[in-house]
Amino acid sequence: MYKNYIKIAWRNLWKNKGYSFLNIFGLAIGITCAAMILLWVEDEVGYDSNFSKQDVVYYVPTNQQYEGEWRTFFQATPGPLAQVLKEEVPGVVGSARTSRMDLLFQVGEKSINKGGRFADPDFLNMFSLSFIEGNIETAFNMFDAIVVSRKTATQLYGENTSALGKVIKVNNDTNYTITGVYENLPTNVTYNFDWVAPFERYAEGKEWMREYGSNFSDTFVELSPEADVNAVNEKVKKILPAKTEDEETYAFLHAMKDWHLRSNFESEKQVGGQIVYVQLFSLIAIIILLIACINFMNLATARSEKRANEVGVRKVLGSDRKGLISQFMAEALITASIAAIASILLLKLLVPQFNTLIEKQLVFSLLNSVHVLVLMSVTLVCGLVAGWYPAFYLSSFKPVDVLKGAHRKQGSAPFIRKGLVATQFVVSIVFIISTIIVYQQVQHVKGRNLGYEKDNLVKIPVTGDIIKNFDPIKEDLLASGSIENLGLNNSEILSGGNNTSGLEWQGGVDTEDVLVSVRAISSDFFDAAGMQIVAGRGFSNNPLKDSTNIIVSESFARLMGFGTAVGKTVENDFTIIGVVKDYLYDDMYGSSDPVLFFNNHEDARFLYVKIKKGMPLGSALSLLDKVLKKHNPAFPFDYEFVDDAFNAKFKSEKLIGSLSQIFALLAIIISCLGLIGLSAFIADQRRKEIGVRKVLGSSISGIVGLLSKEFLQLVLIAILIASPIAWWLMQNWLESFAYRIEINWRVFAIAGLAAIGIALITVSFQAIKAALANPVKSLRTE
Amino acid sequence: MLLKLNNIFKWVQSGGQRVFLLKDINLSIEEGEFISIMGPSGSGKSTLLNVIGMLDDFDEGEYNFLDESVHNLKEKHRANLYKQYIGFVFQAYHLLDELTVKENLEMPLLYSKKSSSERKSLVADMLDRFNIVGKKDLFPSQLSGGQQQLVGIARALISSPKLILADEPTGNLNSKQGEEIMELFKQLNDEGVTIIQVTHSKKNAAYGSRVINLLDGRRI
Repeated sequence: MYKNYIKIAWRNLWKNKGYSFLNIFGLAIGITCAAMILLWVEDEVGYDSNFSKQDVVYYVPTNQQYEGEWRTFFQATPGPLAQVLKEEVPGVVGSARTSRMDLLFQVGEKSINKGGRFADPDFLNMFSLSFIEGNIETAFNMFDAIVVSRKTATQLYGENTSALGKVIKVNNDTNYTITGVYENLPTNVTYNFDWVAPFERYAEGKEWMREYGSNFSDTFVELSPEADVNAVNEKVKKILPAKTEDEETYAFLHAMKDWHLRSNFESEKQVGGQIVYVQLFSLIAIIILLIACINFMNLATARSEKRANEVGVRKVLGSDRKGLISQFMAEALITASIAAIASILLLKLLVPQFNTLIEKQLVFSLLNSVHVLVLMSVTLVCGLVAGWYPAFYLSSFKPVDVLKGAHRKQGSAPFIRKGLVATQFVVSIVFIISTIIVYQQVQHVKGRNLGYEKDNLVKIPVTGDIIKNFDPIKEDLLASGSIENLGLNNSEILSGGNNTSGLEWQGGVDTEDVLVSVRAISSDFFDAAGMQIVAGRGFSNNPLKDSTNIIVSESFARLMGFGTAVGKTVENDFTIIGVVKDYLYDDMYGSSDPVLFFNNHEDARFLYVKIKKGMPLGSALSLLDKVLKKHNPAFPFDYEFVDDAFNAKFKSEKLIGSLSQIFALLAIIISCLGLIGLSAFIADQRRKEIGVRKVLGSSISGIVGLLSKEFLQLVLIAILIASPIAWWLMQNWLESFAYRIEINWRVFAIAGLAAIGIALITVSFQAIKAALANPVKSLRTE
Repeated sequence: MLLKLNNIFKWVQSGGQRVFLLKDINLSIEEGEFISIMGPSGSGKSTLLNVIGMLDDFDEGEYNFLDESVHNLKEKHRANLYKQYIGFVFQAYHLLDELTVKENLEMPLLYSKKSSSERKSLVADMLDRFNIVGKKDLFPSQLSGGQQQLVGIARALISSPKLILADEPTGNLNSKQGEEIMELFKQLNDEGVTIIQVTHSKKNAAYGSRVINLLDGRRI
């Protein structure tokens, strides 16, 4: 029996190639799109899942209260905390202080920069590193030990040389001995590292790392499998207040399985994070599949008249309804399967583009049983969803009605069909509106006045002798004529961190406990970054002259109250000599914390260089390379453009922007495929009517209008339904940003007009064809 | 007695009034009869045939088919009854366009769950008997009207029904093809198959053993 179903399904598909193509292509796009989203979801959900201790390892962030509000900080625990947690909290069986760092490794002529962590020994076990060489238990027995990833070892020594026991020069300064090589970590790891070295060596001579005052460490703990996480967490929360007698800072546990997807906190509560996008995109995958299925339903029921006869005959010949339902379901499943095969080809083609877009390395593989299984289930569900309505509808025909060959009434089908087409357009329009608004919002924020000039501004990490040779470097660069200015800073201009609170100043004290960022800069930093002094003066070229002088940002000046801030003192010892315009850092959507600047570049970590406007960047960079090579020969020239880093801050917005563009495009393509089919069908159905109208004198445009009107109404209804939905969705999305656009009614008008335009073009193609047909022909065939 | 209709009424509501399609039809048919139903257009011929074939309901009256009371049967039992005992032949042949001659013949056997070997031999017999072995792999569109109707009749016969219902079986054929089909019916009737045909043509009616005349849903 099934052989018969398959045979007839296949012959039907073959006979109606046009419809079959629309169906299969639509479904294939839907399946491909869903598959790509699922690949992305798999990668996101799979973060950190390769670590065998995923259930027992926790990160330790801190909650700190400022201005009456709790804010959550990462990389902000004091040095002693790790040890204390292990000793004093039952259930904690391992703990590690860690600090992330970029190190320059040198072997002979080769030198490479690698990110990794200084960490206490427990760290190795928490991440269950699998050692290819060396022994995980004894790796950190030596003070100058370092373990490196296989990738790093290969880059340093090549494939065939053992790295174990080799001594490498680090930062052109100290020597480390490689005591282990571990297998590379997977790419989807939250805290990635290419090397690990003992924290003790890093902390050597840094007393502040052994005190409670400085919050700098990434602390990790491991619980015993039997421990009750909530009970342990409650105890962890009490540790810092007990040790520091400060009730406004406490540490807590953040589970490894939440690291990637649920890393946002608000007022002490975990409030999601990336998981929102995982859920959103999963939903979108389902919606896209659904609108592809709708095409199938519509085309199948629209063609019902052609199939009605077959239903009648089969019933008379002995088929029951169940048999017919199975047959039509089988047809839908076969169509879906062909679509699935097509989508495998599409995936091969499109996944690499998709990867470029979302900056991941996703791979769809037929050898991966999960992928195959998911693809098969998606296909199955697609077939069932697309097939059930036509199956139930078609199998309900009564033979006595259809076999006489009279035109049958279609019952509820045309109405449902219209509803489905409208639904497709609702989805398409919502996507179009969202795409426009996301784009507008990103442009809006990017165009925000930052308080500094990010264009042509180059950030160079401070290495080796850059600070020592800062003056000659500056001299050489300025002498070249292509550099505007350059300055040093102990923080990245775009980032937060390095802050303090509870300051006192002349005539007042910070009762609100405002968090204030502290920056140590060289005198020309403001000039290099294009920041404006709005009152007082800038720093002197000689830092010694400014040892008790500070410059504050406008918002700090405001904090101090009325009158000019210049001349007042802060913490009794420091005199404000200038006020600089507020600038934006850390959170690009919010307002940034106030800032204090000191004139001191001893501990600078970044050199900012402003290239003169109109200078070719390539030659400016090679100049920088040359000058730095001269004065800091041991280190390779490394740089980043600030505007690139700025753009990177909008990664997730950019991702949503590009994905919603793609989804909008796909939704429109699929909907249009459906429209082509439906309009062709309706034009065919009304051939006789068109013929009669033409004979009676109707113009071609009159007939095109007649045929298009029906679809136009649907699109108009879709606009009415889609607009409030899109408004609500986008309003919700925008509310997560402090700095945002107002939704403009024009967006809805543009999206509506676009939808109408697209629908009209699609439909009129068929309508014009029908209108141009010779009426004599269509009337004769009746 | 093959079937018996007692006081069958069938109507539709139109503008608050009953319009009768069948009015007080009484009819009994013995096995082996060849009956022609005649009457002008709209007199209820096809409706009566559909009622007999259990494809259509009636509103009042009793219908007994081989000792079963059709009017008391549930839809599913009724369907089983006609599948087993009745074969249908249509004016427009109603072969499935996507299936070959052989596959069209096989269709009823698939639905009655005959084994593959049984199906093969029955189909081969039928092709033989109707002299269409050479056409078995052709699709309906590749056949003439007369040949298509031949296949239609073969398909109706393949599950060896007791009764064949034919709704203007020659209506779409030219006179020569029509004659051949009628000859075939005559021959089948001689072999013992009961046949009821609806026809407009006196000539075709003459092949039968009895004529039932209808006018406005009534027997006259």
